[in-house]
Amino acid sequence: MIEVEKLSKYYGSLAAVRDVSFRVGSGQVVGFLGPNGAGKSTTLRVLAGFVGASSGRVRIGGHDIEDERLEALGNIGYMPETAPLYVEMRVTEQLRFRAELKGVGRPGGRKAIAKEVSRVIERATIADVADVPISELSKGYRQRVALADALLGSPPLLILDEPSAGLDPNQIREVRSLIRDLGGEQTVLISSHILPEIEATCSEVVVIDQGTLVAMGTIADIRREQAPVAIRLVLSGVVEAALVAIEEHEVVENCTVAEGPHTQLVVQLKSEMVNDVGGATAKLVACCVATGALVREASPEAPSLEDVFSRLTRSEGERMEGGP
Amino acid sequence: MRGWWPIFKRELLSYYVTPLAWVVMTSFLVLQGMHFYVLVAQLAAQGSQGADAGPVQSFFGGTVLLYLPLLFVCPVLTMRLFAEERRSGTIEALLTTPVHVLGVVLGKYLAVLVAYVVMWLPTVLYMALVARHGDVQWPVVGAGYLGMFAVGAGYLAVGTMTSALTRSQLAAAITSAMAIIGLFMLGIGAFILPDGPGRELCAYVSVWGQMNDFSRGIIDTRRLVLDATLVVVPLFITVRAVESWRAP
Repeated sequence: MIEVEKLSKYYGSLAAVRDVSFRVGSGQVVGFLGPNGAGKSTTLRVLAGFVGASSGRVRIGGHDIEDERLEALGNIGYMPETAPLYVEMRVTEQLRFRAELKGVGRPGGRKAIAKEVSRVIERATIADVADVPISELSKGYRQRVALADALLGSPPLLILDEPSAGLDPNQIREVRSLIRDLGGEQTVLISSHILPEIEATCSEVVVIDQGTLVAMGTIADIRREQAPVAIRLVLSGVVEAALVAIEEHEVVENCTVAEGPHTQLVVQLKSEMVNDVGGATAKLVACCVATGALVREASPEAPSLEDVFSRLTRSEGERMEGGP
Repeated sequence: MRGWWPIFKRELLSYYVTPLAWVVMTSFLVLQGMHFYVLVAQLAAQGSQGADAGPVQSFFGGTVLLYLPLLFVCPVLTMRLFAEERRSGTIEALLTTPVHVLGVVLGKYLAVLVAYVVMWLPTVLYMALVARHGDVQWPVVGAGYLGMFAVGAGYLAVGTMTSALTRSQLAAAITSAMAIIGLFMLGIGAFILPDGPGRELCAYVSVWGQMNDFSRGIIDTRRLVLDATLVVVPLFITVRAVESWRAP
């Protein structure tokens, strides 16, 4: 549904997006992650046809966004970050206007438009404010009106830029549930830096930082790849010698110890061990056993998505200084 | 052209749900009402008769009071067309729907043109009033209105263009007022320059000269060509300006 090839966008000499390439298949719900200023909104604006790319190609549903602009835009329901609406209009008026612009009434005329507007009002749960002027709506309601706008005409691709910004927890839950429901029938590209939201709604993520793509794939794969190779060890018996041996072991970066019924250690491995966590675990277990300690448990520590995100989006300098 | 009709309807509606159009329309009609009253009172005092030099011709071609308000009314009507959309961010939602940029520009321009025509409609009552008390040559009235329509269409196109060139409504209004006043001032050259091409050029672009002809029922197609140029060129620049917002 989305094909992005070597996309770059420069504002003067400032590179907002550099050489980004990715693909999103039909029916997927994909999270677009990155810290503030990473180039998320710029990329989405290029995909939605609002901003032209400096170089590279974007195809939406097989149509080039530059050469077949109207065909490509006909496939997209776009919700910009600022949820812009015409404040002098009522909710139904705004949606009717937008439905007409998107050609929803062709063929079918007014009845088809009214039916579609009712459908999206129901889906975005804004029926209670349908006849209220937008100028009188709260930010949360405006956000949902903008979401309803994107849903008009059931476009094959939804591009949602920070869709739950400004919503209360109940509304966030409703929006997440709606997005999950949309997956399968529509492709959804959702930008956010709220990681639980991405984790709750998306099967795959694209992560960008400082305008460049730093990771792409399923959340589970990225976790696996980016896992800071930490191992949790639970020891019992005589552990003092084992603790010294582990701290001095060649594969260990650092180690924290928590006392409890048993001695629990979280052992952070050196970065070069990323691809051999199994081997490092075996070495540490052997090392403990050799000192006479009993190893009750040895398991890789699963990082949270926050850890992975933080690791991926730190600057190169910070990465060099901070290690894994 | 795709998309012009819903944009036209929305723009026209938005004029009449905000106080701006009503304030502009009321001020304009008060000024034109005073203008008409002064003319009729003066003609009545002189005992002047006959359609040629009567109130209709005087109204459309006798004084600058007819089109002087346009120098300010047209910029105010057009200032929000694009500048407001850019300020509020709605332009992002608008330009990411499958519509042609030409459709967006024409939809907005036609809406303001209709608002302009609606603003003039009540002045037809002045003509009806004159008709009750004397003879009115309706073709001459039609030519007078055609002249004001053509002049206004050009001014509104210039205003549409300046609205697309800035994010600030105030800057858009000031820029278009300056451009329109510049065009108007150019016409004054017809009165002060010596005979020659410069004077001819000034006479050609003079609104005064145009309305003098049209108020007598003389429809000079050269004037209409100039007015059409003043519509087409600014609208072309507007389309290019809107397209340039998504420049690589």
